[in-house]
Amino acid sequence: MAQEFHLKLITRRAEGGDPIVRDRQLEGAEATIGRASGNDIVLADLTIDPRHARMRFSGPGRVSIESVSDLPFEVDGKSVQSVELHVASRPVVTFGAYRLAFAPGYGDAVGVTVTREADEQHASPGIFSLQAKVFGRRNMAWVLGAGIFLLCLLVPMILVLFTANPRIRPDEQWSSGPLSRAHAFMEKDCKSCHANAFVAVRDEACLTCHTADAAKAPKALADARRLGSPFEPRLISEHAPHAELIKAAPLPDGMGGKINVLVQRALNHPTDRCASCHIEHNPAKGGSASAPLGDKPKLVVVQTCESCHSELKMRLPNTGLIDTPDWSKHPAFRPLVMMQAGPAPKFVRAALDTAPQEHNGLIFPHRLHLDPMGGVAREAIALGRPAGYGAPLECASCHRRDATGGGFLPIEMERDCGDCHSLAFARVGGELRNLPHGDVSKAIATLAGGALPAPGGSDRIGPGAFAASGATAYRATFSRGGACYDCHTISWSGDTVRLAPTKLADRYLPRGGFNHAVPEHGGPGRSKTGGFACADCHRAQASDKSEDVLIPDLTKCGTCHGRTTAQIAAADDADCTTCHSFHAPGAATPKPGQPPLRTLRWPEAMRSRAEAWTPG
Amino acid sequence: MTQAGGHHTERVRQRTHEGFLRHKGFRWAQIAALVCLVVIAVYFFVAVRLAEAPGGGSWLGYLLGTMSAGLIVWLACLGIRKRVITAGHYSLKAWVSAHVYLGLSLIVLATLHTGFQFGWNVHTLAYGLMMLVIASGVLGIWAYATLPQRLHGNRGETTRKQMLEALQSLDRQLHDLALPLDREGAQVARLSLEETELGGSFWRRLTGAYGDCATRRARHRLAALPAPAEPRQADALAKIAIVLEQKSDVLGLARRQMQITAFLEGWLFVHIPATFALLAALTAHIVSVFTYW
Repeated sequence: MAQEFHLKLITRRAEGGDPIVRDRQLEGAEATIGRASGNDIVLADLTIDPRHARMRFSGPGRVSIESVSDLPFEVDGKSVQSVELHVASRPVVTFGAYRLAFAPGYGDAVGVTVTREADEQHASPGIFSLQAKVFGRRNMAWVLGAGIFLLCLLVPMILVLFTANPRIRPDEQWSSGPLSRAHAFMEKDCKSCHANAFVAVRDEACLTCHTADAAKAPKALADARRLGSPFEPRLISEHAPHAELIKAAPLPDGMGGKINVLVQRALNHPTDRCASCHIEHNPAKGGSASAPLGDKPKLVVVQTCESCHSELKMRLPNTGLIDTPDWSKHPAFRPLVMMQAGPAPKFVRAALDTAPQEHNGLIFPHRLHLDPMGGVAREAIALGRPAGYGAPLECASCHRRDATGGGFLPIEMERDCGDCHSLAFARVGGELRNLPHGDVSKAIATLAGGALPAPGGSDRIGPGAFAASGATAYRATFSRGGACYDCHTISWSGDTVRLAPTKLADRYLPRGGFNHAVPEHGGPGRSKTGGFACADCHRAQASDKSEDVLIPDLTKCGTCHGRTTAQIAAADDADCTTCHSFHAPGAATPKPGQPPLRTLRWPEAMRSRAEAWTPG
Repeated sequence: MTQAGGHHTERVRQRTHEGFLRHKGFRWAQIAALVCLVVIAVYFFVAVRLAEAPGGGSWLGYLLGTMSAGLIVWLACLGIRKRVITAGHYSLKAWVSAHVYLGLSLIVLATLHTGFQFGWNVHTLAYGLMMLVIASGVLGIWAYATLPQRLHGNRGETTRKQMLEALQSLDRQLHDLALPLDREGAQVARLSLEETELGGSFWRRLTGAYGDCATRRARHRLAALPAPAEPRQADALAKIAIVLEQKSDVLGLARRQMQITAFLEGWLFVHIPATFALLAALTAHIVSVFTYW
């Protein structure tokens, strides 16, 4: 048989079923391949050129194909421009979507099976749904959920529970808000306060730096510094022993408050902790967005003074405190009245309306000293202005304000009385020699000892006289007319002199703060109308003996406090906090923000402490 | 008269197909609104009386937080509930209605729970995710309420299957018409046949941005082809131009259909993953609060 191509054209039906097969014979040893209908082999594929390639017999059992269009075709997966085929090896040539399979035919003829490869893919209506196109919803959900669980809970939790000092602190993301400036240095170290997981911040954490316990305070200050605090911590005392405090505090008013406290206690979140009132991580109520946090933790008053100090005996049967449900029911002052003077004086609390008598061991008639027409006044005038007198005595002649102006320095005999009550007992070489004050034995030793000057002229200055030495001088000094006799209660047992122990009260009302520096309290500066001078409260001019307790009663405070400005120009509030504070009931509650944080920086704090300790 | 009444009843019954939004005369909308009003009133009554800021740490905050967390877990259970088919009182429709309205009430509950305190922390993350879930849910409500109608309006009487069949038929025509063309002509047809993307990415579907559509480009290139010498080819080119125009029209219709479908389905691609993220963040929020109490 001549060299010719036997074509077998196989067309697959799109809808399936048996393919259509057609046979055709090509005359001649050459055949053209292309898309155009004039070709010997027509391949209806747009990727094929109208005249794509030529195929011819190139020898016995050999067929060569070459491109006539510059477009390639594929043999065994390779793109080629021409190829020499050995028909015996049944080669396959691909043009676009068509597959030409060669096989030996009868004689020299070659069989070519032309098959269209896979038909084009048709879209299904599912393509309209997003699910056909977009990443898996479920996968995304699990990945996101697991990621957040891992990063926001598991990793921080493992670090919190099992590491002491982790290098990274993913638990910072748990912080519900920034700390106040005072505590900001601990911002990154959650565990400095939240010491134990699932346990509410306990007082021990706060007291590490803030305890006022004398034994622990120095370490507390040192610890604060070591932990990096830029500020000196305020040392804080309990209002009362903690166990009593718990018993004394009633549940808050209102159903909500009661439920809140009971639920919190049930959930191991006690409401009697430092952190129950001093709130961190929280903007102040009504705080602005730009300045949500203050210098110090936000103070939340859980209990008012009145809520505990009403019917207190019902909750705390052993208490000696009198109920003070409001200002009008504030009990009369019960000052500490000295019953026995001496180095370890004894006091009792006695109500002022019982006219208590103080036993300070001293003989001192205020009236005598303040009488403008009396001898004391005359002597003061005689002492003259250069000595600081020149006029009848007034309170300030003897009572000197302390550095703050809010209180007074303790009376010192030499400084405050000595200008008139001389302790001089001799003149040596033109210089006066004074008896030492405050210790009888030293005074006696001075009078009897070698330092005793030779008898000479009298140096009597002021009360007290001596004109003898040794035993005579000793007896004279402690007898009527002697230097000590006027003020001290003296008794003799044979030749031995005894002076009654003396002690002046430091503070009559240590459970309340009173500020003498307020102009209306007789302090310096301009007082409002109705303000008081010393004599308005302290009836010293009418007091003939030092046993008189010269502090005023509460009614005096009530002249202004609790009044309206319509009633008196000097009217002021009558709030418990005016005279008491929670942690230090003996002092007024500091104004909010006092002392300012900047004054608590270490250098400033140390300086002001040093100044406060400097006498005078 | 009786008959007239019967007619009336019949007509009412036909009208009473109600969606989940109107279920039982907005019963759940009313319940949710009532919850919100009570919570708002309590908040503003209590907030001024609270000693502390009324945030999550106050007793009111704990109460609102517990309510919100419980609600979130219940709302998330819709995913489980919808796979269980029941009827009657607690039908899926009732459940979805409650899901929608109670979910919306969470905006009030959870926002008041925060006490308007926000920060870069896990707590605000949980809040943000919750708001994202709610916002995507609102989109979903809007989609379900309006889009099915628009889908219908867009396709007219043509079904999606018919659109695809039309495209296939046009492609076949295009292919056959292009067979006699020379290489350039064939390439124009191939451009449209091989590179036209019906759907495309999520964003493309959502935005309907098909400016670089291959069929559109094919039409431009077709117009720029030099006039062929053979009348047969010129005739084919003219027919191809018509087929490409028709194909563009069908593509536009199908793509609009896809866009609306994308809106209809797209919100769930935020709603569901954000819900999972929210549940994780909520767990972290609650556990961390009690860890660092």
